[in-house]
Amino acid sequence: MLDNKKKMGDFFTRFDKLSERVEGMYALGRRPFGMTFDQMLSPTRARVGNTEVILAGTNNYLGLTFSDECREAAKAAIDAHGTATTGSRLANGTYAEHVALEDDLRHFFGTAAAIVFTTGYQANLAAISALVGRGDHLFIDADSHACIYDASRLCDAETIRFRHNSPEDLARRLARLPEDGARLVVIEGLYSMLGDVAPVAEFVEVAHAHGAMILVDEAHSIGCYGDHGRGLCQAEGVTDEVDFITGTFSKSFASIGGFCVSRHAGLEMTRLVSRPYLFTASGSPANVATARAALAVMAADDSRRTALWDRARQLHAGLTAAGYVPASPPGPIIAVERPDELTAVREWNALLNAGIYVNIAVPPATPQAKSLLRLSVSAAHGVDEINRIIAAFKGLSRAAA
Amino acid sequence: MNPDRTAIFDRVAAILKAHAKEDIPITADLRIAADLAIDSVEMFDLVMEIEDLYDISFPIEEASAIDTVGSLVDAISRLSNA
Ligand SMILES: Cc1ncc(COP(=O)(O)O)c(C=O)c1O
Repeated sequence: MLDNKKKMGDFFTRFDKLSERVEGMYALGRRPFGMTFDQMLSPTRARVGNTEVILAGTNNYLGLTFSDECREAAKAAIDAHGTATTGSRLANGTYAEHVALEDDLRHFFGTAAAIVFTTGYQANLAAISALVGRGDHLFIDADSHACIYDASRLCDAETIRFRHNSPEDLARRLARLPEDGARLVVIEGLYSMLGDVAPVAEFVEVAHAHGAMILVDEAHSIGCYGDHGRGLCQAEGVTDEVDFITGTFSKSFASIGGFCVSRHAGLEMTRLVSRPYLFTASGSPANVATARAALAVMAADDSRRTALWDRARQLHAGLTAAGYVPASPPGPIIAVERPDELTAVREWNALLNAGIYVNIAVPPATPQAKSLLRLSVSAAHGVDEINRIIAAFKGLSRAAA
Repeated sequence: MNPDRTAIFDRVAAILKAHAKEDIPITADLRIAADLAIDSVEMFDLVMEIEDLYDISFPIEEASAIDTVGSLVDAISRLSNA
């Protein structure tokens, strides 16, 4: 019998190089990837082992994860509707609350259509892959999030990358192609790694001048930019012109889920063809209710956003004064480039030992293969917490000197 | 090689020489990343430079299949004659 067995392929040797790379990082202290938080204490505090740390690397921009509004909504939804939907939006997974959340989004953005998805990742996958197909062209910013790249793999359109944040480069590429087939341009609002923002209005103009529609992924910018957090498109006055806006409930909305809104009522039809919408279970009642509660907070009260920006400016100024060079002007995401990966890991450990958790970001997840310490600010951060973050960074440069 | 391809090859070879970390003669079957020690960030810049030069855009499906100097020349020749 044994002799007849075919030799099995070895799936795991292909990870040897990666394994060697991470072992080098792990040797420097705690493991920076998938670190475990033993207990969340507040939007800005957690317990790791026996130490309490200040969280400076979440995407909890409005700090709503522990708000009374969101917690009560989630608990009430579980009691009223149970813990899960156990099915697709198209089958048994659409509850009145999913539809109400879509109504809320249409109302908030003033759009004709809104679709809610189970995650933001799926929102991009679903919208993009349903819109473009064989014979069409998809134009994506070179620094796009992985889910936009994955959307390009899921659809049959040809994908063309343009230089990051360059409407001129996009214009050249649009002009190069013959005008047959539909064209969709995809950009983000606020870029998650370096915290830079897209010149959205210029992109809209270029796309429309060349007969293309434009989709803006505002995963990080909704809640942070625009009147009551309506996003960068609103801040730049182009909400009525942008064709599609996608977003996530996993950051400012303190939940899990994603959405796509559009000025085109035709978006509705994609529900019947979009695989990442059809072939997965819908968001849980608690997640949907939390997103609705967060949206209601945003619509009613702009003060968390104001606090977020005050703290962002404080952190940016403090890090700059301490000799660090943030990758972008003040904003909710503040990244500092480090000379190399192992320096970044060493500093990440030193910060953690000083009671500060930040994100570490390394290639291939970063633009231009940079090694970054990435900080994100929350409206829930206190002035003194930001001061402690700055002090920890000062401690790093002292240790290095 | 037809005359067209030769012209493309010569221009591509000049660009590659400027980016390469290894000083070796450029041949058609040389692997761009491995043999010339050109990393993915540089490869991206290089591809963009070539796209501007020939006024073409490589779809990413095609760009990721480019591996040797010859396959790059083929892709340029195909796209600029389309
Ligand atoms: C730009 C961008 N788009 C989409 C997503 C995916 O969102 P989600 O966490 O809801 O899947 C993220 C977050 O990871 C993101 O940064």
